[in-house]
This record gives sequence, C-alpha cells and structure tokens, in this order.
Amino acid sequence: MNDDDDPKEYRWETGYEKTWEAIKEDDEGFLEASVADIILRAKRKRQAQKQSSQKLGMMRHLYLLLDCSESMSSQDLKPTRMICTLKILEGFIEEFFDQNPISQLGIILMQNKRADKVSELAGNFRKHIKYLQSLSKTNLVGEPSLQNGLEVAISSLKLLPAHASREILIILGSLTTCDPGDINTTITKLKQEGIRCSIIGLAAEVHVCRQLANETKGTYSVILDDCHFKDLLYQQVEPPPAAVALESSLIKMGFPHQMNTEGTDEPLTMCMCHVDSIEEGSKLTTGGYYCPQCLSKYCELPVECRACGLTLVSAPHLARSYHHLFPAANYTELAVSNQNRFCYACQKPFGDQDKQIYECPSCKKIFCIDCDIFIHDILHTCPGCATDLATFQITRN
Amino acid sequence: MNNIELPVEKEPEVKSTDDTSLLVIILDTNPGQKLLRENPNIITQVVDSVVAFGNSHLMQKAQNKLAILTCHSKTSQFIYPGPKKLLDVRQIDGQYEAFTLVEKTVKQNITSILSMENSGIVTESLLAGAVAMALCYIARIQRTKANGVKLNCRILVVTGSSDSASQYMNYMNVFFTSQKQNIVIDVCALDQHLSLLQQGCDITGGLYLKVPQVSALLQYLLWVFLPEPPIREKLILPPPVKVDYRAACFCHRELIDIGYVCSVCLSIFCKFSPICTTCHTVFKIPGPLAVKPKKKKIKM
Amino acid sequence: MADNGIGTSKLDNSTFITQSNLECKNLYDYLKTRPPNTLERLYNHPAICLAVYRELPELARQYVIRILFVEQPVPQAVVASWGSQSFAREHNYVTKVLTELNVWMEGSLPGGLIGWILSPTFKRNLKIALLGGGKQWSMSSALEPDKNARDVSFLDTYSSERWECVLHYMVGSQQQEGISADAVRILLHAKLMKRDEEDGSPVITRQGFQFLLLDRQAQVWHFLLQYLDTVEQRGLDLVECLTFLFQLSFSTLGKDYSTEGMSAGLLIFLQHLREFGLVYQRKRKAGRFYPTRLALNITNSQNKNAPLLEEDSPKGYIIVETNYRVYAYTDSNLQVALIALFTELMYRFPNLVVGIITRDSIRQALRGGITADQIIGYLKQHAHPQMLAADQKQTLPPTVVDQIKLWELERNRLTYHEGVLYSQFLSQADFNVLKEYAQSNGVLIWCNKEKRTLVVNKNAHDEVKKFWKKYSKGS
Repeated sequence: MNDDDDPKEYRWETGYEKTWEAIKEDDEGFLEASVADIILRAKRKRQAQKQSSQKLGMMRHLYLLLDCSESMSSQDLKPTRMICTLKILEGFIEEFFDQNPISQLGIILMQNKRADKVSELAGNFRKHIKYLQSLSKTNLVGEPSLQNGLEVAISSLKLLPAHASREILIILGSLTTCDPGDINTTITKLKQEGIRCSIIGLAAEVHVCRQLANETKGTYSVILDDCHFKDLLYQQVEPPPAAVALESSLIKMGFPHQMNTEGTDEPLTMCMCHVDSIEEGSKLTTGGYYCPQCLSKYCELPVECRACGLTLVSAPHLARSYHHLFPAANYTELAVSNQNRFCYACQKPFGDQDKQIYECPSCKKIFCIDCDIFIHDILHTCPGCATDLATFQITRN
Repeated sequence: MNNIELPVEKEPEVKSTDDTSLLVIILDTNPGQKLLRENPNIITQVVDSVVAFGNSHLMQKAQNKLAILTCHSKTSQFIYPGPKKLLDVRQIDGQYEAFTLVEKTVKQNITSILSMENSGIVTESLLAGAVAMALCYIARIQRTKANGVKLNCRILVVTGSSDSASQYMNYMNVFFTSQKQNIVIDVCALDQHLSLLQQGCDITGGLYLKVPQVSALLQYLLWVFLPEPPIREKLILPPPVKVDYRAACFCHRELIDIGYVCSVCLSIFCKFSPICTTCHTVFKIPGPLAVKPKKKKIKM
Repeated sequence: MADNGIGTSKLDNSTFITQSNLECKNLYDYLKTRPPNTLERLYNHPAICLAVYRELPELARQYVIRILFVEQPVPQAVVASWGSQSFAREHNYVTKVLTELNVWMEGSLPGGLIGWILSPTFKRNLKIALLGGGKQWSMSSALEPDKNARDVSFLDTYSSERWECVLHYMVGSQQQEGISADAVRILLHAKLMKRDEEDGSPVITRQGFQFLLLDRQAQVWHFLLQYLDTVEQRGLDLVECLTFLFQLSFSTLGKDYSTEGMSAGLLIFLQHLREFGLVYQRKRKAGRFYPTRLALNITNSQNKNAPLLEEDSPKGYIIVETNYRVYAYTDSNLQVALIALFTELMYRFPNLVVGIITRDSIRQALRGGITADQIIGYLKQHAHPQMLAADQKQTLPPTVVDQIKLWELERNRLTYHEGVLYSQFLSQADFNVLKEYAQSNGVLIWCNKEKRTLVVNKNAHDEVKKFWKKYSKGS
C-alpha cells in the first residue's frame, strides 16, 4: 500500500495550525471567550462531518484488545497508564452500551507475548465493568503480541453471521510487538473477513499500527493527554460506516413483555440469567421478561435467549440507536440580524456576545450556538421541526 | 468505672431540600383535540387549574422557578416567562404579585395564540417537539446558573390529545435525553390513555396519571404532581403502572411479540420482506432457512 | 431500712458553664412563642400566611395544600395514611409543627372521628394569596411612574452601604455618622453590643462577633427580630409591623411602592427600615419607596445555604487553599476585619488580602466565642466562584475544614452536665436497684460500683428520689 496517499500524514507536517493566531483578546483582555470559541468550532466541525443516511454497522461486535504489558505501568498518564485506561474504559463501556444497546463487546488481554480472551462477547455491560475493575491489580509483565491478539479476536469474530459489524479496538501502550509470524498475513486475513481495526496508541505512532488501521478502514491515533484519550475513545461509541462486506438482512427478534394477568399473582420462578450462578440476585422472583418463543424467563433485557437463541430486546432499546441513523439536520450559520431576537428553543435573547446564529434548513427556525450543540450532541431532534406539522412530516420521509 | 453517656433527645432529622426546583409545564391547547372540540369552554378551566398549580409550585419555595409552554400542531411557544419583557403588573387584589404576574402573562399569551389559530383543525399536537423545546430551555438554565447551585428540573405534560406513533422517534429521543440529564417527565392525561408518554414516565422515573374527571383537575394536579421527586418517596402516590414495551412494526403499526429487524436501520417488521421500506436496503433472500443456524454461538 | 443512703450533695454548680451562643431563631421558632390570638390576627393577612407556609417543613406544605380546598375536617387516620410508613416520625413532627402554629386544629367529624381542619383565617388568606380575591395589600396603591426611578444595581449598592454602616459601627470603625441612637439601642438590646464599663460607649460582644459571621440574610432577620421585640415599647403595633414586613418581603425588586394610606406608626417603621437599607426612599415625604434585596424573602433564613439562581446576586470573594492560606479579594475594611478574626494576615494589597489559618489564630477566634462551624460557614458562604466551579461537592478543601473542627474539639474535652450525687448506699443491692432505675430512664450520668456512688441528671432528681422513697418503704 502506498503511504503517500494518506492525506493526514504526520501531525507535525500537516496539523500545523496557527492556533495562537486564532486566539484574540476580548475587550477586557481575556482569552477565555476566544478559546471557548475555538472549542465550539471544533465541535461543530465534527458534527458537520457526520453524514446522515449513510449505512452504518448497527449490530456491532467489538473486541477490545487491551495491552497489559510492562509498558502500561509507565506513569505518563496519572497515576499509571493502566489505571487511567481502566478508568476511562469504564465510562466508555457504559456509553457504548447506552448508544449501541444491541451490540456486544468482548475483552482480550495482551500480556507477556500471549493473548487471552478474558471476557466473551456479551451484551451485559455490568459484567464487563466488573471485570475491568478487577484488572487494576494485574501484574503488568513482558511485551504484548499484536498478532496473537488479533488472531484470537479473528477466531471468534469470523463465526458471527454476515450481518454483524465486526470490529477490533486496540489500546496499545507498547511501541513494540513480539509476534510468532508475519503480521501482514494476519492483516490480510482481517481484510478478507471485513473486520475493522482501530488503534489508540498511548506512546507514539508505530508504522505497523498505521498500516493495520489503513488496510482495515479503521482509525489510528495517538493520544496527547488523558482528556484527548477520552475524546478519542468516545469517538468509537459512534457506530462506524458499514463495511462493504457487510450483508444486510432481517434478523428475527423477540419483544418480550411482562406477563401478568390481572388479579392473579405470578408464581415465583427462577430467571435464566441466574439459573446456574450462586451469586446474589439468583433468587426466585415474580416479575420478569418471557421469551415469546420458548417462554424462558429473563430478568434483564437485552439478552440472547439461552434456550432458543432468539435475541430479546425491548422497543426502546432499538429506539436508542435510531438517532445514529436519523440525525437532526445540520444547521447553517448566519450572522446575527435584527429580526431574530431570540433562540427558538431556549428563548435566549441574542445579545452582543452572539456572533453567529444557526438556522435549521428545513424549519427555518433560529437557534443559538449552545442549543445547536445540545440538539446535535444529545437531543438529536430539532425542536423547530418537531413542533410544526408541516416540517415534521418532511423530515420524517 | 463504667461511665455512661447520656442518651441525647433529638428532634427527628427533617431534611429539607434546599435545591432550587424548576418546573416546566407543557400545556396542550390545540383546539383540535377531542376534549376541546366537544367542549371548547373547558379550556378556561384547564388553564385556570394549570396556572393555580404553577403558582402552588412557586409558593413552595421562594427560589422555585416556573416555565409554561403551549403546544399546538403548528408551533409551540413559551407563554411564561416568554421571550418578551415581562409585563409590569401591579397588585389588583390580595393575590401575591408574582402569582398575578404568572396568571396575567399566561392568559394574555394564550388569548393571542388562540386568536391566531386559523380554522384548519389538526387533531395532532406535537408534544414531543414541545418537550424538546423544554429540554433546550432547561439546558440553558443549567448552563447559566451560578456555580454551586443545585437545580432539580422536571417537565409536566398536560394534554387531552392522543399520542400518535408518528412522533415515536422524537418521543424516544426526548425521553432518553431527559433520562441522561436527570429530568423527570410527569404526564397528566386529560382524555385518552397515552401509552407512549407513559413509557416516557417509566424511563425518566416520572408519574403518569389519567385524570378521571377534568372538573377536579386542580386537585389531581396538587395531589399527585406537586410533590417534587425527592419528597415523593415520603408520600403514598399512585404506583407505577407496568408499561408495555412491545414494539409496533413499521408496516402495520401493530404490537408484535416476534418480529424482524433490519440490520442496517433497525426498522421493525412483522413479516419478512425482501426490501427495507425505511432504508431501501435489499435483503438477501433467506433461502433455505436451514442456513440460518449459523448464528452466534451461544455463550455460557 | 433507713433512707440516709441518700445524701444529696449537689455537684458544684459553678463548673456548669453555659456557652452563651448567638441564638438565631427562624420564623417558626419566633411564631411558636406568640400567643394564639396574636397568631390569629397575623393570619388575617395573606402575606403572613404565605410566609408561614413557606417556612413549614416540606411534608407539611404538601399536607396543607391537600386540604386547602377541603371544607370539612379530614380524619386524622386519613392524613396519616398519606405518608409512607418509613417516614412516620417525620409525619409526627409535621403534625406537631402544624398544630403549634395553629395552622390546623382538631375538628370532630359526624361519626365521632377526629379530623384535622385548617384554621379558617389561615385557609381563607392563603387561598387569597394563591388565587386572588380579597383586598389589595396596603402598599400597592397605584402610583404615577417615578421620574427618578432607580434600577436594581443602584438599590443593591445603596442597601449594602447602609447595612455595612451598621456593621462598621459594631466593629468600632471610627466613622460614627449614619447610625442613629435608635439603632444603637437595638444593638444593645440584642446584646450584640454592650456599654463599656468605663466610659459607657458601646463595644461589641462575643454574640456580636458571631452575628458578623452570619450571612447577610440571617443578619437582617436576627436584627429585625430584636427590633420587633422593642416595637411595642415604641408604641407601634406588632401585628401591623409584621404584616408590613412580610408584604415588603414579597415585593418585587426594582419596583416602587406607595406609602399612601399607611398609618403614622408604619411610617415611623418605614423610616427605620430605610435607615438599615431595607427600603430606599429619595425623600422622607416622597410618597413612594423601593424595597431592596435585603428586604426580600426575609424569612427565608432556613435555606441560607441555597444560593440564588439569579445571575446578579452578589459574588463571593474568598479563596481557601489546602495550605491554609486564605485569599480575600476585597477592599472593604469590614471584610478584612472579619477575616482577621480567625486568620493571621500576611499581606495586604488594594484589592486583596492574604492571610493564613493557624492553630493559634483559630484558637483565638474560638476563645472569642466564635464556633468552628461559624468560621467554616463564613468561608463557605463567601467562597469565590472559582472555588465553587472547581469541585461541585466540596467548596472548601476538606483538610482545612477538618482541621478547624479538630482545633475546636481540642478545646471541648470536657462536657458539663448538672447532676445530683447519690452516695453512701447501705448495700450493693440498693445501689444496683437505683442504678438500674436511673439507667433505664436514661438519666444516669455517672456511677461507680466500688464506691457505691452515682450521679443522676438534675432534672430527674425529684423523680429518682420519689422512686427511692417508694422502694425503701416497700422493702
């Protein structure tokens, strides 16, 4: 592959932005407003990049390859790389399942030239987080092996049905990898399987990682500090564009509902999730969700029925992901004019500080910058379009 | 020596929440809703009750805040405090000045909105959009508040219309946003049972009540919705109803137990169809169904 | 058996030291002590009902609003069923408060059941405040627009200037102008200041220092309560003054109100309020006045830790660092003097004072009668916005807070209880019986088995004596 095609190149070559020139003092000699402005701009830019009606891989199956080698004990992230990573990962996993409720995640550790699958692909975030928390005391020894890690992930991911989006996310602290064979064959294999590999480097850019990411259409970035790390990691929460090899299909799913007939008490029953565990929670309960196909009971959704393999979800779980597919339209930036005196959504009157206002292309309502960010980051519904029947119907079709 | 401490006689620890509480009321004044078409005069009574309820909220604590929105099919609008400068209201009778201000502003704005309403009657009120506006408003108040102020926010929807499935996506977006922002959504249904909004209450931890008699609206509001979420645990309030979270298929809008979900856009269908009507993806013909068991391996 | 076992030798009374702390009452404590007929007269005005309602505990407010529109008594059992079981104690407390304030009273139902019914006056006037009706409040007569209208920032500066004048006087800053003999009398009456024994000039007391550390709202409220104590001596009507005060507290900042129709007594009261900066009047005979922030929500003293949502409310100026340094961005002598109460000042700049909290500085403050909580409260209240922004949970560095508390505890190694000593028991059995009795009643302070002596709470002495008499007669 030709490295020169890569438009981004190295940061010190292209990323040369004269940020200090963009900073201007305000009337009172403060810089804060200007810096805040730059941050907002960056946020908006990222939003603008998001394209709607793209095919996305919604049913994600993500393996997290975590470097547990000696290099993770370095103290450039506080208190150590490992502890900092675990802390950020906890938040990431929660957010990941919040935004991708029918997806699955697994964890593989790379340590001492070996790779161990420690947490199987599963959709229960509590289990993963519990495991992560137990990791803080692991011994960090030896070198990682990228190839071994990838192979373990491939062996599990290739069994998945064709409609599943397969991804690997590698968090690498080490600058070296100790591999048993040629890693290029593994990269080719990943490409064939359509597995997307993204890498977050904690130290410096490594050629093999760059190549791996490029070939598998993933992203590769190296962190600047812990905030940047978090930022990079959270970008992985968004579902990636669907891989070409991804097949579309209709998947059979069950929508269980609580079975309670009026007036009669449900019998005490055991749920399938806790049937073979002796932990807390393995008690007989009355409520629960019943698989519509085989009537096994579960205490939590989403889950894959252990008896008949049907994926059980509730409608809001699916709805949580809809905003990825139907995002609110991007607003256009306008200069402040006198007709528009206040933001349609939050009623904020436009004053002297507001340099730009934002207009929704479909409902033509005007918003302030804070609402613009809030609407596109969190809400995903344009309040203007959603309150007018005319535009409401346009945006739906 | 055994020295014995005196047991101390104590007043029960009565926790009073010092937090400021912001209540945003969304009032559906769409004249197209069934309740108002049958009996247009009822609107006065509903508005009066809602205003009295809003004032009761303000009466609870000096620092409490209130905002009221109206919701229609064409637009939603803040009627209190509103974008315009507040009226200069003087006391006219024994009512507290701040309450008079709320009442006057609301009535004036509602009158002007209703007079602008043209004859074309649309039965659907776009409640989800109004909730979205309320969320933006709350987000702004949260942003601009002074450091160290704790603000509890909630939204109360008072409506007589039905909730149509066409707004499903918007409803879900606002519910999840509220959940994320810790904003409670309460719903007071005046006429019809609202299954979607009920889901919102369940997701955000709010209360849902269908008022049996609109004539006693104020009493229902005061009893059920006036206590703020932190005090609710101390009172006996209507128990949460079990909510039906079954999905409705996109093709026939029927509740289904088992359905097919498009792997690209997650649309739900009750039967297998070769092409997704939402994202126009062509599906592989399932062919011999026997191929399917190549499914995810069951994990232990 | 002879009862000479009871030698009631009292413990030395002089060891019992009362910590005369500043007692800051809230509206509830104040009204509780008023006779019912005064309360009834007070409830004749919507403003007072509103103020009382807001002072009630949260649960009580819900109860009141639930029965506000009910005309007959509501059975007590029904009211009790509103609260959930786990909060039964709170329910009882709430019931007590409502009864004490005469907000509700017992009424009998047809079936012989006893129910609660709101005081008719209270109910009528609360309804008026909420829904309208009734007469206009006395100060709300119509006014022509004011040519010399004042805006909020003017009123804020004015009021804080006036109020600080009082505080400055207390700390004995030289300037003597601007405070009337009346105000001095109130300060003396409130024991915030006392006459110096030599030259008779007023000097600040320890309560005075504690007063200075309160937040502004609490200061105003405490000061007014003391003022109200003296109202009747001045020939003013207490109810009239209270009513006016509460009307004022529910007025809108930045609006003008009319003095039309106010009685002569009230006009005098108004002039007093003007002196303390609670209202602004351009001229004594202007016919209108502006309430200031000091007068607003005057009763709201229990929520003093809740900062206001308004963006224009006064900002804090103190930064405390974990190294015990205190930076105060202020040019006010008063604030510097207050900081100096518990810190050692190090540097002083035109707009900044730097001090350090040391064990000695804190102990000196404690000796002066200031409590650790008051110091911490003061630092917290005036914390710089940056301190609030840094961490939501803890405004002040926890190390500093804990250390100040520890320094206070150092001084409080002894606690004093008044008690009565029982000694010279004839047998161990007698001793045990009395000990058991005292212990089970929770009045035993100390006992020693070997010497057969015990000390019981002084208040319970009669009871224990009675028991002993009965016991010794019986055996």
